[in-house]
Amino acid sequence: MIQVVFMLGLVGALVMTSCGSNSSQPSSTVTGTITVSAASSLTEAFAKIGRNFETANPGASVTFNFGPSSTLKTQIVQGAPADVFASADVENMHELHIAGLLHGRSTVFAKNRLVLVTKPGNPQQVETLNDLANVGTISLCGRDVPCGRYAAQAFRAAGVAIAETRITRGADAKATLAAVTTGDADAAIVYATDAEAAGSSVATVRLPDARNVTAVYPIAALQGSARPALALRFIRYVESPQGEATLRSFGFLPPR
Amino acid sequence: MSSRKRSARRLPWAWMLVALIGFLFLVLPLVGLVLQVPWSSLGTDLSTPEATSALRLSLVCSLWATALAVLFGVPIAWVLARVEFPGRSIARALVLLPMVLPPVVGGVGLFYALGRDGLVGRYLHDWFDIQLTFSTTGAVVAETFVALPFLVITVEAALRSMDRRYEDAAATLGAKPFTVARRVTLPLILPGLIAGAALAWARALGEFGATITFAGNVQGRTQTTPLAVYLLLESRPELAIGLSVVLLAVCIAVLALLRDRWFAVG
Repeated sequence: MIQVVFMLGLVGALVMTSCGSNSSQPSSTVTGTITVSAASSLTEAFAKIGRNFETANPGASVTFNFGPSSTLKTQIVQGAPADVFASADVENMHELHIAGLLHGRSTVFAKNRLVLVTKPGNPQQVETLNDLANVGTISLCGRDVPCGRYAAQAFRAAGVAIAETRITRGADAKATLAAVTTGDADAAIVYATDAEAAGSSVATVRLPDARNVTAVYPIAALQGSARPALALRFIRYVESPQGEATLRSFGFLPPR
Repeated sequence: MSSRKRSARRLPWAWMLVALIGFLFLVLPLVGLVLQVPWSSLGTDLSTPEATSALRLSLVCSLWATALAVLFGVPIAWVLARVEFPGRSIARALVLLPMVLPPVVGGVGLFYALGRDGLVGRYLHDWFDIQLTFSTTGAVVAETFVALPFLVITVEAALRSMDRRYEDAAATLGAKPFTVARRVTLPLILPGLIAGAALAWARALGEFGATITFAGNVQGRTQTTPLAVYLLLESRPELAIGLSVVLLAVCIAVLALLRDRWFAVG
């Protein structure tokens, strides 16, 4: 009998710890933990912003869930606990708005551009999207991931068509870039910020502005948040001059 | 029969409860998956070009990987089971390592070994103009890497547990070592070999991490079913679920095939 009580106690304790993080604490205080689901292209910049935010707000802590914006949106629709969503495109944010899952409105906090990256030293001398027609394997994001859609737009604008058999597809911008840094892909199209983060392991080719596509990053608090005040404070911090300076240091463009 | 009844009665019911929770934990995800299957559109979903090319590639690559696993795995198992040499346990650990290694790590290792600038890959590329990355052969290589240990461990166990007196008898009667191996040993370990090949095949069929890391994700070339499922979850979840269920059905069939070997209880 003691065994049984112990077992049930154990199961109960497990259940309690998994739910415990979002109870108590009135929502008006700004202490506690929030979860921010953010596009993987924001990984480095948001990690730093998160640390700065925690320093500025003792008692508050931020955990991040980075991934492709479309996956994050699906997770939120299916009820994954998140307090803030930062998307790499307007479409996924809009779907959450339509579904009534946003707390308030979303605001654009940053922009990003596409760049072409190659192996260090650009051995195949790729200068434009047209040059990709003569290059071995090109790494692009999945067709329905924001960076993949932006890349398709850029190719359409340039009038370049690449055979699908020469395209390897990554689940997000990071995976797409990895096919060049830790793989045999000759070129990739990723965000300027990813190329910046990769440093000297790639060579970056800027695309002419007329052919480029601007990625827009909206952020919003979520309806399901147990700490809406803290979520809003985090968003205000991202949009503050300090937040914007951090974003710019990672290669993001200002929202205006 | 009576002894089994008695042992069942002696098991504390708290244990049975915990066992039940554990069992549900393993089975519920499968139930969840099957409940999501859009049965009415499954046929049309699975006949889209993405699905058919992924399923075809999965079949081709996994069968090649199984054949290579048998080709290299049986001799490896033989050496590990029968030849005494210093460092044998280390060699065995190295052979079995891909079973526990995260497949992505295996893929990165394969890239540095067999990629275009890899240890060996650079010579394949410079001398023979062979590039494994982004090729179907590369997908087969990645699947073989993760599947081979399953074949080795199964065949080695069969070799160790077989009755060696049959081999001794054949040798005494004048059979040459190769004849003994072919006429006596191989038939005796055949059930183990089949089980090992089936496990290796199932593992190759489900391979994801090493394939996407080493061979990339090129539709029609290296985008096998698990890779297609991963990307399609973004855009067409119903198709991703349809393909998942095909894999699930295949795995269940493999287990059913093996039930007499591994899963029969008394």
